[in-house]
Amino acid sequence: MDPIVEALARAAGLEKALADHPDDVAAAAAQALNNAGAVKVPTNPAAEPWPPMRAGVGL
Amino acid sequence: MSDLHWLSAAEASRAFAARTLSPVELTTALLHRIEALNPKLHAFIRLDAEAAMDAARAAEKDIAAGRIRGPLHGVPIGLKDIIDVAGLPTTAHSQILVDNIAKADAVVTAKLKQAGAVILGKLSTHEFAIGGPSFDLPFPPARNPWNPDHHPGGSSSGSGAGVCAGLFPLALGTDTGGSVRNPASMCGIVGLKPTYGLVSRRGVFPLSFTLDHVGPMTRTVADNAMLLDCIAGHDSSDPGSAATQARQFGRTLDRGVRDLRIGFIRHFHEQDMPAHPEVTAALEDVARVLATEGAEVRDVTLPSLTEFAGINRVILCSEAWSIHAPWLRARPGDYGKLARRRLLPGAFMTAGDYVGAQRRRLELIAAVEDALRDVDVLLCASSMDPASRLDDAEETARTYPRQARAPFNVTGHPALAMMAGLSDSGLPLSLQLVGRYFDDATVLRVAAAYERATDWHRKRPPIA
Repeated sequence: MDPIVEALARAAGLEKALADHPDDVAAAAAQALNNAGAVKVPTNPAAEPWPPMRAGVGL
Repeated sequence: MSDLHWLSAAEASRAFAARTLSPVELTTALLHRIEALNPKLHAFIRLDAEAAMDAARAAEKDIAAGRIRGPLHGVPIGLKDIIDVAGLPTTAHSQILVDNIAKADAVVTAKLKQAGAVILGKLSTHEFAIGGPSFDLPFPPARNPWNPDHHPGGSSSGSGAGVCAGLFPLALGTDTGGSVRNPASMCGIVGLKPTYGLVSRRGVFPLSFTLDHVGPMTRTVADNAMLLDCIAGHDSSDPGSAATQARQFGRTLDRGVRDLRIGFIRHFHEQDMPAHPEVTAALEDVARVLATEGAEVRDVTLPSLTEFAGINRVILCSEAWSIHAPWLRARPGDYGKLARRRLLPGAFMTAGDYVGAQRRRLELIAAVEDALRDVDVLLCASSMDPASRLDDAEETARTYPRQARAPFNVTGHPALAMMAGLSDSGLPLSLQLVGRYFDDATVLRVAAAYERATDWHRKRPPIA
């Protein structure tokens, strides 16, 4: 397994999954990279996220 | 009265009011049918026949006394097993929650009980509404009534299979990336993902807070509108609930499509994710039927399916990880393999990935809103292929993500899937209609016009 993936998995507390289901952990890391890479993050620094930021009565 | 199991909810309700049928007769007939067919279809995780008969007897007594609560009074319904019913297990089809007894009704459950509906029990799902179809879970996967060797779609798989097979006329499912519309497509029924915020999610086990929807699944469009009327409404305890007055979703069902403009998103199934030729042909026929009925059908272009799908996955996995991390750390072996693989990616996504996806999401919402300024409703594919065989994991993995439903979880617009044909192999083909926010009524109106103009909703699966 890629040592970076292993380190990230340990940092996420997935020691048990690493020991018992290493193929699933490796596949999940590859999928995460793939999905995140498909997102065209807006280049406009002012582009806001959804759901919209709305201050409520508690703020 | 014969073939009680094929009565729509509206027909049953009219028969109750006319005293030609009683809720006890209908519930008894459906319980017999469930006994006969559920061993083949596995639609139910938990049948609660005793409570259902109690509710049917109470409804019968009330209706006989003239105390009719509304069109769902005495009508049987099944609930996906991530929706809480007080006193019953909510297992999410998982070993993780196999002993989890719901302490209170979900808001939608309470609304159904208030309306006098007869809750038959809890229905199969993909594990936690994401991991399936799977054979390594405490309960078997549901099967497709059109051919039990094939999957019925998911994750609301028992809801789709049971409605399709005549086990109940109504069901509730949930939809985070298409999970109401997928089984509706695979089983040839009507499934609506309402506008985000229209239906309360309180008491429904979450998968992804900003993508989750509860939706009605039925055999007819009129029943779908009727069930939506019951479950819609603001819930101050659900932070995603909208303060909308949208109601009476069936009020325009008979108006036809003559004055409507329909935008056909061809590039989803022609370029972005080329569909099976039978799906493409069915969609062209849908456009032709709607044009013949008087709608103006024109092409519309949106951002690519690939981008919508990527954003759906980043948001879904990030939000789901925040829910499942404690169990994935401590009990990874108690998940089935598919759920484990689909939930673990969230561990590898960064806060930047998540916020970036939510920022791009707002731009995609704007793109769909722009399109809906020029047309009233969008038409596009739902599934790109008919249902694969349950025992063909490779083909299921290939075809399952080939869909155009996730874009409207990302944007929150109302989206409905329904039958639009039968493949040469005898499996349902489908269409999808998408509308403006809180204009679920117009989506249902177009669906009703298509239903009237075609015979697909009258087709019954061979298992029937």
